[in-house]
Amino acid sequence: MFAPSLSGLAASVASDKVVPSLVAEGISKSFVSGIVRTQILERFSFSILPQELTLISGPSGCGKSTLLSILSGLQPADGGRVLALGQDLGQLKSRNLEHFRLRYTGFVFQGFNLFSALTACEQVKLPLAYMGIKGAEANRRVMAVLEEVGMSQHAHLRPTALSGGEKQRVAIARALVKTPKLLFADEPTSALDASSGQVVIDLLHRIARDHGTTVLCVSHDPRLIQHADRVLVMEDGAINREWRSGGHPAARAMVGADTLK
Amino acid sequence: MVALARKTLFREWRRFLPAVLTVCFAGLLLIVQAALVLGIFGSAAIYVTASSGDLWVGYPGTQSVNLGRPIYRDVEMLLRMNPAVTRVEPFLWVDADWHATGVGGVAVSVVGIDPSVKGMVFDHMLSPTLRQDLQEPGSIVVGKADLGQLGVQAGDHAWINGHRVHIVAVIPGLRALGGVNVISSLDTAHNLDPHAGFVTYYVAKLADYAQAPVVAENLNGNPAFGPYQVWTAPAFALRSQLFWMFDTGAGIAVVFLAVIVVLVGAVIASQTLTAVVISLAAEYATLNALGVGMPSLRWVVMEQATWIGGLGLIGGGLLSAVLLVVAHGQNVPVAMTPQVGLICGGLVLALALISGLLAMRGLLRADPASLLR
Ligand SMILES: Nc1ncnc2c1ncn2[C@@H]1O[C@H](COP(=O)(O)OP(=O)(O)OP(=O)(O)O)[C@@H](O)[C@H]1O
Ligand SMILES: [Mg+2]
Repeated sequence: MFAPSLSGLAASVASDKVVPSLVAEGISKSFVSGIVRTQILERFSFSILPQELTLISGPSGCGKSTLLSILSGLQPADGGRVLALGQDLGQLKSRNLEHFRLRYTGFVFQGFNLFSALTACEQVKLPLAYMGIKGAEANRRVMAVLEEVGMSQHAHLRPTALSGGEKQRVAIARALVKTPKLLFADEPTSALDASSGQVVIDLLHRIARDHGTTVLCVSHDPRLIQHADRVLVMEDGAINREWRSGGHPAARAMVGADTLK
Repeated sequence: MVALARKTLFREWRRFLPAVLTVCFAGLLLIVQAALVLGIFGSAAIYVTASSGDLWVGYPGTQSVNLGRPIYRDVEMLLRMNPAVTRVEPFLWVDADWHATGVGGVAVSVVGIDPSVKGMVFDHMLSPTLRQDLQEPGSIVVGKADLGQLGVQAGDHAWINGHRVHIVAVIPGLRALGGVNVISSLDTAHNLDPHAGFVTYYVAKLADYAQAPVVAENLNGNPAFGPYQVWTAPAFALRSQLFWMFDTGAGIAVVFLAVIVVLVGAVIASQTLTAVVISLAAEYATLNALGVGMPSLRWVVMEQATWIGGLGLIGGGLLSAVLLVVAHGQNVPVAMTPQVGLICGGLVLALALISGLLAMRGLLRADPASLLR
């Protein structure tokens, strides 16, 4: 079906040669509405490294969310290739794409999209059943991620009893419980107040560092920009500025390398 | 495993309630309609079903009990010669004209039966003392539901074909299709209309009722005894009921109505279910983004449809049961058999599943790409 070179990936993170986990090669996307055809992305290329929080920023309507959905396999590009964990997403049929996402990707959205009938604990446990993880192992994982996002005290509350920030933490736990290699977040803090937003930012950062997850985040939030390991500023369907702040040694070694193809 | 379908349903039952009520009422309609049809057309064979005979012997090709014609009394010999037969008794059908004080010209069917205590015909309905009373010449028993039409009370006198008769008792449950029934002894019935012959049917009891189909087959086709045909009691009852059902067109009407109830119910229930699915589109889309396949999401919808069907069925079943008991108490002809009950239940579940299939359209809104804007 698909064979991402994960073992190679893990080994390379430890060494100086970092293999990008997500690569866009000349992707294009346009939308047609009526007779007007709008080109959103034009031969767009870049790559993203594991174990860091990459942020894409840019003016409204420039195509950030569209880019994120193409990179995460939620919609196909018109042209070009997306390599996620070494797998060409364009080669996968929709059933296999779903399976790829089930195995490797997590999502956090601006709206929290939690089921109002389920408790925090059940929301998080829900995807696990579809991965075939059940019983004690499932419970152990659920409690561990709820602990990690600081929600274990609220495990039995339903969304109506949670604040916005708490809901987003549950949503993050739901993505995290799958131990994804790739975590995508679209404006995860824009519906939150300052302190809740900060908690979410710290969480995303920690997930990248501690789990080696590739975290790709789209946001205007200046606080997020400060905390990101790498910031890409998008304009007119291309990246026109990029910088790094700190990051881990392997990533620092990459600065100046051809991450911007 | 998190029971998403069930938890949503019970947590947000208010939103599912219209669908459950739709299924409930569709079930009620189906069951009550079936019960009425069974009750009304079941009474076409009341002579057979309220009797304990195993075999009925009548004129060849008789379509329904009330359409019998006289047969030869020799047939009794044929029956008695068969070692499997333990008892034989005649049954006489007389169409007659009823007069009572203030009431005239009512067409009645006089059913002449063996009034002895061991008699098989109507032994489910007539007590031994009542049978004894019927042995008195000119005594008759009438049904409670027919009193208004006959214009009499228990103990009154009336005239049938100009002969004075005495109503010795009024019993419940003697309502039949195609007119008013009057029960009398064989002799009384014969006296009311000597041209009606002596015997319309012979009713026979077997040592082992399980042998009825075999014995019936063995008895059939002996030309030496004149024209006759032997049926088992259930076969003759069904024959009468089906004749009435299809002769009146009610059979087709029932099927037609059942199809309409199921389709309309499915469409209405699916509206509610679709609305719920659409309201959860973002949540379902998130699950799909996380890799939960569309078939699994469709399964969630079908599970909810099944719950709606199950709950609606329980509600409709209980409601119908109450209604049927009340109707029965009011002398409304209603009946139910396990088979028909199962068919109604099956239709109700089919309705719910169809509504689930229709509601899957709502999942088209659960496009994960639409979550990223
Ligand atoms: N399905 C679609 N059909 C037509 N046009 C679309 C579709 N999706 C996006 N667009 C258009 O593509 C452009 C980029 O949309 P996108 O959502 O990627 O912007 P964005 O950078 O995320 O903006 P924002 O910061 O406001 O979220 C917009 O002009 C939008 O109108
Ligand atoms: Mg956007």
